[in-house]
Amino acid sequence: MTGPATKWFLGLLALVGFVFATQSAELTPAQRDFFEKKIRPVLVEKCLKCHSAEAGKTKGGLSLDSREGARKGGDTGPAIVPGDARQSLLLSAIHYTKKDLQMPPEKEGGKLPDAVIKDFEQWISMGAPDPREAAVSAKKEWDYEKAKAHWAYQPPKKSAVPTVKDTAWPRAEMDHFLLAALEAKNLKPVADAGKMALLRRVHFDLIGLPPTFAEINAFLDDTSAESVAHVVDRLLASTQFGERWGRHWLDVARYAESTGKDVNVAYPHAWRYRDYTIAAFNTDKPFDQFIREQVAGDLLPAKDDRQRAEQLVATGFLALGPKSVGEQNPRQYLLDVADEQIDALSQAVLATTIACARCHDHKFDPITQREYYALAGIFTSTETRHGTAANVQNRHPGELNELPAAAGQPTLARKVTTQELAKMEMRLIEQRQALRDMFTQNMQNRGKADPANDSQRQLFDRLRIITETGRLEAQLKLYDATGVEKALAMGAAELPARREAFGNLRRVGQGRFGGLRPPEFSAIADCALYTRGDVGKPTEKVPRGFPAAVLPVASGIAPAIPPGTSGRLQLAQSLTDARNPLTARVYVNRVWGWLFGRGLVDSPDNFGNSGALPSNQALLDTLSVRFMENGWSTKKLIREIVLSRAYQLSTAHDEKVHTADPDNALHWRMTPRRLDAECIRDAMLALSGELDLKAPLASAIARVGDVNIGGPRFFGLGEAQVNTDVRHRSVYLPVARDLTPDALEAFDFPESSLVTGLRETTSVASQALFMMNSEFTRERAAQFGLRLQRWQPQSEGADAQWRERISVAYWLAFARSPTDAELLTAQTFFDKFAALPAVRPAGRFAAAPAGAAVWTSFCRALMASAEFRHLN
Amino acid sequence: MLQQLSCGFGALAFTALTAHKAAAAETNPLAPKPTHFAARAKRVIFLCMRGGPSHVDTFDYKPRLVADDGKPGRRPGSVWLAPKGKFAQHGKGGLWISDLFPNVAKHADALCLLRSMHTEVPAHPQAFLRLHTGTAQFVRPSLGAWTLYGLGTANENLPGFVTLTPPSGFGGAQNYGSAFLPAIHQGTRVGADNRPVAQAEVKNLKAPSAAEAQRLELELIQSFNREALRLDPRNAQIEGVIQSYELAFRMQSQMPAVMDLTKETAATQQLYGIGDRATEDFGRKCLLARRMVEAGVRFVEICHGNWDHHFNLSTTLRNSCTSVDKPIAGLLADLAARGMLKDTLVIWGGEFGRTPYAQGSDGRDHNHKGFTLWMAGGGVKGGHSHGATDEFGHEAVQDKVSIHDLHATILHLLGLDHERLTFPHAGRDFRLTDVHGEVLKTILA
Repeated sequence: MTGPATKWFLGLLALVGFVFATQSAELTPAQRDFFEKKIRPVLVEKCLKCHSAEAGKTKGGLSLDSREGARKGGDTGPAIVPGDARQSLLLSAIHYTKKDLQMPPEKEGGKLPDAVIKDFEQWISMGAPDPREAAVSAKKEWDYEKAKAHWAYQPPKKSAVPTVKDTAWPRAEMDHFLLAALEAKNLKPVADAGKMALLRRVHFDLIGLPPTFAEINAFLDDTSAESVAHVVDRLLASTQFGERWGRHWLDVARYAESTGKDVNVAYPHAWRYRDYTIAAFNTDKPFDQFIREQVAGDLLPAKDDRQRAEQLVATGFLALGPKSVGEQNPRQYLLDVADEQIDALSQAVLATTIACARCHDHKFDPITQREYYALAGIFTSTETRHGTAANVQNRHPGELNELPAAAGQPTLARKVTTQELAKMEMRLIEQRQALRDMFTQNMQNRGKADPANDSQRQLFDRLRIITETGRLEAQLKLYDATGVEKALAMGAAELPARREAFGNLRRVGQGRFGGLRPPEFSAIADCALYTRGDVGKPTEKVPRGFPAAVLPVASGIAPAIPPGTSGRLQLAQSLTDARNPLTARVYVNRVWGWLFGRGLVDSPDNFGNSGALPSNQALLDTLSVRFMENGWSTKKLIREIVLSRAYQLSTAHDEKVHTADPDNALHWRMTPRRLDAECIRDAMLALSGELDLKAPLASAIARVGDVNIGGPRFFGLGEAQVNTDVRHRSVYLPVARDLTPDALEAFDFPESSLVTGLRETTSVASQALFMMNSEFTRERAAQFGLRLQRWQPQSEGADAQWRERISVAYWLAFARSPTDAELLTAQTFFDKFAALPAVRPAGRFAAAPAGAAVWTSFCRALMASAEFRHLN
Repeated sequence: MLQQLSCGFGALAFTALTAHKAAAAETNPLAPKPTHFAARAKRVIFLCMRGGPSHVDTFDYKPRLVADDGKPGRRPGSVWLAPKGKFAQHGKGGLWISDLFPNVAKHADALCLLRSMHTEVPAHPQAFLRLHTGTAQFVRPSLGAWTLYGLGTANENLPGFVTLTPPSGFGGAQNYGSAFLPAIHQGTRVGADNRPVAQAEVKNLKAPSAAEAQRLELELIQSFNREALRLDPRNAQIEGVIQSYELAFRMQSQMPAVMDLTKETAATQQLYGIGDRATEDFGRKCLLARRMVEAGVRFVEICHGNWDHHFNLSTTLRNSCTSVDKPIAGLLADLAARGMLKDTLVIWGGEFGRTPYAQGSDGRDHNHKGFTLWMAGGGVKGGHSHGATDEFGHEAVQDKVSIHDLHATILHLLGLDHERLTFPHAGRDFRLTDVHGEVLKTILA
């Protein structure tokens, strides 16, 4: 992040420190005028974005937003020494005299015009009169216009392909951009990756699995110049591609199968959204359409029932966020749900934290509180059908969308007889009546004594009835009139255009607290602005609309919202309009990050003023524009990147370049990356030969149904159930919030309540223990060992055959052959192991063939190694 | 005793590693480090009361609240709600403590009450994260991770920072995470929130094969890893993997020993309330914490919930207090008897307090504006009270203590200057306390 210029600046400022006492003398009108007209605008325009204490960004420790800050300077010394041009680092920087200290930087427009530089010289020789007080500056109002001038809110433009000195190096257009940036710093990329390292890399990056033996051989046999392209095209066309890339999107979509938060009840139907996502990547659904469907799929035209079903499932995005279903105040609940939707959607699609403006104008970005509530009205005009069942704690059960029967969507095919259905209906009527009777009785008794002192007996009765009615309601929704399971999906629906007549009032689910939606949220309507986000303090209603800076209206991107509609359709359109400055950029940056380990913008979920600046904006913008021109095709984008020279570089270390760019922001090599949790687990199953590539139906959570996560036995879903021994790909494991399967938890599975653009990668003891001691690893290692023992060697003689088996192991685990030294290490290991007192395998391993123990151990070591879990 | 078991695979492999990396010969990141100045406390036990325990019912006596019970409260439509416990003065210091904590009250002269705590938002996840990392806005290292980073571990064979039964929500692993600090400083989780600690174990601690076989296997793993590091010497991730195996191997033998409470006498177990259903779980946690700090763990956090008493305050609060009262008293007594209280900092508190006015008829809402947290041992004044809330206990008004101040003070007690304990990241030096924090000098013994 820190370039040499800032580093140098930091060091120097630290040495020199504070040298000039704050001047408190009054300024003459002429001095003040000079500053206001010639100096302040330049500081504001060119410097304060990176050097402002108030904006929270003081690169090099320098803040130029107050007199004191400018004089004190940053970590290298005073930026301004009144009367002394030579000592003023600021002058030296704007003169571009030193190579490593040139301000403003290129991306801010480069060197200032000579006339402006002269103004600064004159100003400093005048004694740098500066009326700004730090205290005043600290209180300064957030400036919408300035926030809006931020790079990310300007539409991306294609740049001319930069010229490079080493014209032989670039392979793809993007290589020119990267090489030009490296050459500007006199740096050179490292050599290309070896063929096999590259094969392993594209395999994991594109499908999340290691190459099989056959795939390795095919690649070795393909001596054509397009061998890599052949592999890439094969991988892009495989169904495993969607399982890998769909999971990336599920991180962004904060996909999970439970509400999380306070009560954590299951979302038994969430898996449909998972499958929708996987399919969208496999069919290369244009990204703009993908987003439109998730925001307003229920409102989009559909050519047939199948498409209609697909689009309904897509809106699951809006419904599967974390929810406090225990919240007592229905207004609070509804506004919190809308807020979470705004938060997730704006971060996921726009990398903008619009939800920050719920209580006040955004602190950094051009989003007013009023705009927040304009947007909130769209979501409070929408019914979130999250489909949980009412229970004692769940005060906010939800409806579900019923998918058209003719669409042939899969279900678990559960059945009940019509008699059973009738019985359930009858029972529900009785229980509801019982609940009403209890309620009436309580109302009659009200005021006679403390209302809280219901008898214990009555309390238990009530809890039992609530649980039962909740369960019955959920059951009855699940079956059609003939007792066959219906295909239900989480998602969104429009509220009625007008509040329905009393008696027809739509219920927010039913059950204990169900009852009615608060009147202001029971039909399509504008939302009030809530003072400081306090649901108790609604003020005037704000017409539904869009934040102008991120979803510009002036330029006509956001169409007017027709009366009687929520505005979700218009929101979906404006999010994916080609003139939207963020959507394509944000997504292209995500894809870049998933392939390189970090984005061109290092804060993939925050492109705002408090986010990171792009390391190569010309490249990001050019790719983004072309992405849109290419029909928002993810596969084309990935293909282009993966076939670039930059992607195919080796991970070799180069001390000199490393010193200049330790974070590899300039892409002088491929960053070595840790595999994601899913890749590690899937690869272990692949090595052991056990991986089941068939996609399972639904999810473990769908089978368990409406329960509380981590709840009591038989009523909840526990650790044992999420860790059942299945061999499907990891993307199909159950994802309850706060209850992650061990194999995923160990390796930094993301917090599924948050939008996660890039995962953390830690190296901790719990991972080592998982590899050394877990049942999962032991099983995989044992099976991998057996696979090697059963290998039909082509070589002759025990020694050669043993070497062949070791070699196969290396190929499968690391996609390379062992070196002689490694063979020796292996030999030593086998010898030493043989010298140990013999261990009789116990239990299920008792039948293992002779030598199984050492093979298990060796295979576990391979899977436990750093090389196995890293991509070179 | 425990320390002597340390030469095994760990020592061997570590020697090999460091021999290989000559330059890194003394760079065990967990080696004990000198403090900035003399430390008053060497270790921390943080009794984290998840959910926001009520201060006005327990440690912050407000007679006005008794007098105004039922009268209109500060939130429109609310009424003041008298404390659920009866307050009395305890110890030589005369601290007012309610009878919800009868046993802890007996240790009043060890307690230093911080009655003017305040935090940013009255929402659990944010406040909980702020309590643990100083911020909810950014991902930052946790207090325990900073402590371990600042002091190193006193026993290489155990994790330096253990968190017992932390919640998976409320910021989850961030609350014991290391963020940009080297991952080795991250807390090791034992057990899960709302599960009895008796069932808790560090996952995957039991080796699948005989010790010698496993040792051989681990040597093989580390030889693979050293080779990977040789090819990419600046790859911190690979270094991290190597260290993770070192620690894992040592933990495997020592953690079960430390966690075995049967080695304690019946009298000790009783002291902690083990054997009584109401106090069993927290008693075990406290005794585990004592065994861990005794064995050299630097920072032990015990999370205990749920103090989020929105309803049925009368019964739920009493139950919560009962479940921890005797165990805490037992812990304080035991530490004192072992001569460890003087340099063990015990901290009790949650992410915020609760409103002095009622929520519903028998509950209290979140209150971030004023609450109480207390410390004991570790160089703080006993029988002392710092700061004050207003007459109702709603807002801190006198000698206010922010979370940053709290963190600065904890580090100070550990001999660390919160302004000097920094880590370079993203071009600048980061601190636990950001640019804030003042040490509460007046509470130092």
